[in-house]
Amino acid sequence: MSSTTNYIRIIERKPVSSGAVMLYGLPDVGLVGVIAASHMVSEFNLEEVAFVDTDMLPPMIVLHKGTPHTPIRIFGNNELLLAVSEIAIPADSIHRIIRSLVKWGKEKEARIMIPLGGIPAPNRQEITEPKVFAVASSPQLVEWLEGKAEWKGRRVDEPFNILQEGYMVGPYALVLQYCMQENIPAVAFLSQAFYNYPDPQAAAMALKALSKLMGIQIDVSQLLEKGEEIRLKARDIMKRTTKELAKMRKTQEYDIPLYV
Amino acid sequence: MASKKRRRSLLDLIDEYMRTIEEEIEERFEALHNLFFERPSWNARTRTIEPLCNVLVTPDEVVVTADLPYAKEDTVKVKLLGDDVLEISAEMKRKICLEDFGITHHEGEFSEFHCRVNIPVPVSAEAKRVSFKNGILEVRLPRKRGYEIKIE
Repeated sequence: MSSTTNYIRIIERKPVSSGAVMLYGLPDVGLVGVIAASHMVSEFNLEEVAFVDTDMLPPMIVLHKGTPHTPIRIFGNNELLLAVSEIAIPADSIHRIIRSLVKWGKEKEARIMIPLGGIPAPNRQEITEPKVFAVASSPQLVEWLEGKAEWKGRRVDEPFNILQEGYMVGPYALVLQYCMQENIPAVAFLSQAFYNYPDPQAAAMALKALSKLMGIQIDVSQLLEKGEEIRLKARDIMKRTTKELAKMRKTQEYDIPLYV
Repeated sequence: MASKKRRRSLLDLIDEYMRTIEEEIEERFEALHNLFFERPSWNARTRTIEPLCNVLVTPDEVVVTADLPYAKEDTVKVKLLGDDVLEISAEMKRKICLEDFGITHHEGEFSEFHCRVNIPVPVSAEAKRVSFKNGILEVRLPRKRGYEIKIE
């Protein structure tokens, strides 16, 4: 794919409310974000409000109920926007795709961006209840999440586990980078997950963290009940996601950083 | 100063050129690989679904795992074929149709998981340990020991 001819644009299908909370459910370890996102879409009856049109993805559409859709779409209502991908985003176009999603969210004056995802846990099989770690885009937000300070007049009821040191690789790393660059508040919730098996339980834990932060009710019982069905359905996209993550050198997340 | 600048940009050009070649080779390899090895993750003729598997090699053992949602625990079978292929199979608690996923342009009904996994290093099959928890199979195969080299 040559870089000179690439284009990307976000086409809006419905009026998009400004000042919403923008969530991201993008393919990553355990497909945590995608599983959480698809649960949010059905739980909150979110409608497709926009989609990504680009030549940086393979030439494909996804059919749902007999009609075509592009694989990366934005769902929403008055309060929420949710960017979700039904395709493993190719490693060589991920920067531009994420950058344009974040920019679009900024234009829509999203008040905070919250990517939901997984953090690979080598011993996931032994973990009965996955822990969720938060990563924030600014020191003020970190203090807020730790329960040490207020942010916009609000305090968190219970402090979150903060991912203090380490590498982040993949779509959420870029959402956080561009949010930090553009001065958009962002908090990523990363749940301990299987690296390359779809992990509905991890998705439920990430949604619980989201519900705690936003003070909204998210019923995850359906998600847990349908766990086996989701795991079976998600095999193909998981397999392709694992391949793309390998190209992004995802295993660097296990590395210990040297602070220089 | 000027010559230094020029030299650097020449190196940049070579670097860029090499990278383009590398990318091209990578892309072609991937296309070839896809052409020969990509297939559906299900087989309507054998009524089987291929599960997601993973192989991890540590200094002591090879850990093979497989995600087997809907598998009946007492039907999970693990067999070593030859020295380096592990065959995993399991019956499913209920039949799964492609139609269950809304797919109507292909037909298929599946009742079993089946896959073969290549083991990359020599292992001793007799000492394998198998566990099945939350629908995930884990097979631990100790790596074969060679002989010790004495340090003088």
